[in-house]
Amino acid sequence: MESLKNKVAIVGVGYTPQGRIPGRTAMSFHVEAARNAIEDAGLKITDVDGMLTQPPGGDTRIAPWNIAQQLGLRLRFGSQQSAMGASAGCMVLHAAAALIYGLADYVVCTYGESPLGGGSGPGTYGGGRGDNAAFGFYGASGGYALAAQRGIYEFKTGPETWSEIAVAQRKWANLNPMAMMHDRTMTDEDYYNSRMIVEPFRQYDICQVSDSGRAFVMTTAERARDCRHRPVYVMGVGQDHPSTDIVQADFMTGPIGAKVSGEEAFRMAGVTLKDIDACEIYDCFTYTVELSMMGYGFFGPGEGKAFFANGRTAPGGELPVNTSGGLLSEAYQMGFTLLTEAAVQLQGRAGERQLGPVTRTKEPEIMLVSGNGGVLTTHSTVILRR
Amino acid sequence: MTMYTKPLPDPTIETKPFWDYCKKHELRMQKCAQCGHIRFPPGIVCPKCHSMEAEWVKLSGKGKIFSFVIFHYVYNKAFKDDVPYASASIELDEGPRMMSNIIGCKLEDIKINMPVEVHFEDITGEFALPKFKPELKNRGKNLKPTAEV
Ligand SMILES: [Zn+2]
Repeated sequence: MESLKNKVAIVGVGYTPQGRIPGRTAMSFHVEAARNAIEDAGLKITDVDGMLTQPPGGDTRIAPWNIAQQLGLRLRFGSQQSAMGASAGCMVLHAAAALIYGLADYVVCTYGESPLGGGSGPGTYGGGRGDNAAFGFYGASGGYALAAQRGIYEFKTGPETWSEIAVAQRKWANLNPMAMMHDRTMTDEDYYNSRMIVEPFRQYDICQVSDSGRAFVMTTAERARDCRHRPVYVMGVGQDHPSTDIVQADFMTGPIGAKVSGEEAFRMAGVTLKDIDACEIYDCFTYTVELSMMGYGFFGPGEGKAFFANGRTAPGGELPVNTSGGLLSEAYQMGFTLLTEAAVQLQGRAGERQLGPVTRTKEPEIMLVSGNGGVLTTHSTVILRR
Repeated sequence: MTMYTKPLPDPTIETKPFWDYCKKHELRMQKCAQCGHIRFPPGIVCPKCHSMEAEWVKLSGKGKIFSFVIFHYVYNKAFKDDVPYASASIELDEGPRMMSNIIGCKLEDIKINMPVEVHFEDITGEFALPKFKPELKNRGKNLKPTAEV
């Protein structure tokens, strides 16, 4: 089959206010983010003819056609997509296919939610999962913590590894004025002093939800050259969805979908781990970062502590990870937070947190982006280049 | 019996037999009539051979803890007097894994691979929850039973 390598590009990114923002619906964040992404790409309203939308918490009312109405668009290509946290990466693949086959010229991909302000409806994240609620087993935190406890048992991971991840990401957030945790530093001691939520997870192992939206625009490589900013080309994409509830999962300690989806994406891109200058790794929980990077082959089981030590992934480190602060310390827009951050880094417009001389890191040419959803149930991998 | 305020099981057409047997204090799951695989959660097809024939067989009620978590945060106020409490994935001797709670021992004594056995708690006239306790022969010096929950 024909490869999609370098045939499509991300050409625009749209942000919204993020944090606790009452008086806004989830829908309004989709609309505002899409509007800003279209503007960022330098497109006219009539240019955009494709849309992919991730409905928060499976809210089917938030669909491309409803968003398109508010933006005055007419769509040739549109779909709701939910692979939970893996959606943004999955959308890259589906948008690429539509663009390459000429089914759309410009595709805008949207996410938005308002769990704090109440515009997303109750219980998006804290809700019990089916009969599990009868056993007091709640939230995504319960599921990932269940996997993490098994990780402690099988390969001696734990807070010594996870604190390194949380602290490094907070340092990136401190450089990002949009990050919810921009003004709050975190030390190792702060990490250990944060309260237990679902043991073995402390508060700082767990991402914070936010009221916000995020969107990005994709087009063909040919059209991308005429857009406002430098195109970010898609080199490789992969999906792997283990498709088993975490209670029955045989992948609590890996390999998760990062392994197979990563192999697919790397093969398509024609690069190896050594070519990756920085990563945006789905980080709903610290342990997710560890398992994902293990899956890609950055280190083996039990080697996470040594890998993350001495700020390797922090500003100034040799392999920057989650340079906006990520879901743990910037804001939670599922995979959109991470994918859009990779795009703006590769475009060289990340300001104070820009990879390169500003943060004493390597100027990035190729970046790896992961998405993970359900509870390790879905996974997407995207490799981007400038 | 005081009013039970915690979330109740939410049976579907597929899971109702499981909960009906629990009410009779029997742990039963579907065993494939073609290949013998015992599956959970309930469903209409065997994931190993796609046979649609199955029988609800009675299980030993014995297993071990595959993994567990301890809830400190109150996600639902009905559990506010219970925190901290343990939820676990139990691997039954017959193979399948299920979500449950560990009761009858101190939280600090809960360990992965600990042998456990089912103990049904009648919560309402309609439902009994299959919870798990350390296996009797292991409730020794290291595992001091606490008062019944
Ligand atoms: Zn079978």
